[in-house]
Amino acid sequence: MNNNNHRIIMHIDANSAYLSWQAISNLQCGSNVDLRTIPAAVAGNPKKRNGIILAKSIPAKQQGICTGEPIFQARLKCPELILVPPNFPVYMRCSHAMFKIIKEFSPLVERYSIDECFIDFTNMSTRFEDPVKAAYSLKERIKQELGFTVNVGISTNKLLAKMAGDLKKPDRVHTLFPSEIPQKMHPLPVDKLFMVGRKTTAKLTRLGIKTIGDLATYDVKSLQYKLKYFGLLIHEYANGIDHSPVRPSNRFEMKGLGNSTTIPFDITDNKTAHIVLLSLIETVGMRLRQAGMCSQVIEVSIRYSDFTHYSHQNKIDHPTHCTHTLYEEAKNLFNQAWKGDPIRHLGVRVADLCSEQYFQLSLFDDITQLNKLDQIDQTVDDIRKKFGSYAITRASYLHTRLKPLSGGIGEEGYPVMSSQL
Amino acid sequence: MKVLNEPIDMVAIFEKTGKIKPFKFKYDDITVSIQQVQKIYEEKLAGNRRICFVCLHNGAHLYEIKYEVDTCTWYLFKK
Repeated sequence: MNNNNHRIIMHIDANSAYLSWQAISNLQCGSNVDLRTIPAAVAGNPKKRNGIILAKSIPAKQQGICTGEPIFQARLKCPELILVPPNFPVYMRCSHAMFKIIKEFSPLVERYSIDECFIDFTNMSTRFEDPVKAAYSLKERIKQELGFTVNVGISTNKLLAKMAGDLKKPDRVHTLFPSEIPQKMHPLPVDKLFMVGRKTTAKLTRLGIKTIGDLATYDVKSLQYKLKYFGLLIHEYANGIDHSPVRPSNRFEMKGLGNSTTIPFDITDNKTAHIVLLSLIETVGMRLRQAGMCSQVIEVSIRYSDFTHYSHQNKIDHPTHCTHTLYEEAKNLFNQAWKGDPIRHLGVRVADLCSEQYFQLSLFDDITQLNKLDQIDQTVDDIRKKFGSYAITRASYLHTRLKPLSGGIGEEGYPVMSSQL
Repeated sequence: MKVLNEPIDMVAIFEKTGKIKPFKFKYDDITVSIQQVQKIYEEKLAGNRRICFVCLHNGAHLYEIKYEVDTCTWYLFKK
């Protein structure tokens, strides 16, 4: 416990990452407009119906634009808003360059998401005199070499470092050591606390908790009674308690995996829905096989055009990672769940994972058939690995406007921020 | 100087020491020989490495060419 208070953890977060990266990339390519200085946002394509704001500039934020809101709503608030499409290869390049510089400051770096990371700066006094000075030099180096600004938070654990980094933006270094919690963290509204979102804020407001300080002094037993384990967790967080280590790899043991996609038009027939499901299962199956896992639970989720959501899942007789079996099962689930309303978004998820090396077959499984399917999947995977994802696709996608593989974020995956520190 | 950032055909010498010497390039069907390189610097904006050459033409006109390392492309950046 004592050791934890002697740790020095830094949290580095790129300011409006996607937007500033796009702005720098445009400037480098000769653009004379700096997107960061005008109301601008990175947004999806409204024609493909994924038109939400992904990142916004500070002038756009001042006009009330929020991340995650639809484009038309943003345009109502700010008609002169400049929108740019997302460009993931540029973001990956910026992210890699940023982490390369950060790695020079400490050997223990946890890449928390595409634009955030934690570094363990404990026992670095021989190399750097003062962590705050080191943080300033890190911030300045990133600004000078890569052209974008970052916020650095310094504290004794990951939670406080992250809270410190979020205090005031952009281009700042903040400390939030345990002694500074009452002045710097407790007066903040409770929704600024890590893990406290919209729904928890509403519950806490009903309990009369408005600030992080209120939460920190609230009776822990009542909180536990109302919010169960989560109540204990946020009470600890409000008091600045967190013992999670800086992990060089932020991958946790996988419990399930899934892909989903918003379709550019409303689906009103079974056949199209099945084709979209198949495209999702192609991706899910491939990921499952890459991870060397099999799954026994399959879930299909449907979002209708009125944004109501429904999901349906089933446990099958034997674990599988075969695209064909997963597809047949997903089709059944979909047919059972769908009531005929227009569909906007479809998702497939697999859970209850086990290793592919040993698993129990059921008595009625045809082993020859299973082996055949396994070989087909393996061959298709190999071809896609060698010649690209679209080197081999199913004929059912010919002359349709649908993608043979859907879900995922782009060419290269990046660590997605998790709710666990 | 005006910013162009247009890709160009380039003849350059890649010396065995690792040094890059731009020799001549073609822009708008005009061939320009590089007479004098005044300054060389590297930029890594947005993680994109470019080696920049500020050059002087006929003792009076400054222009800037850039070599993008990832894509092996030369650009006439400013003229």
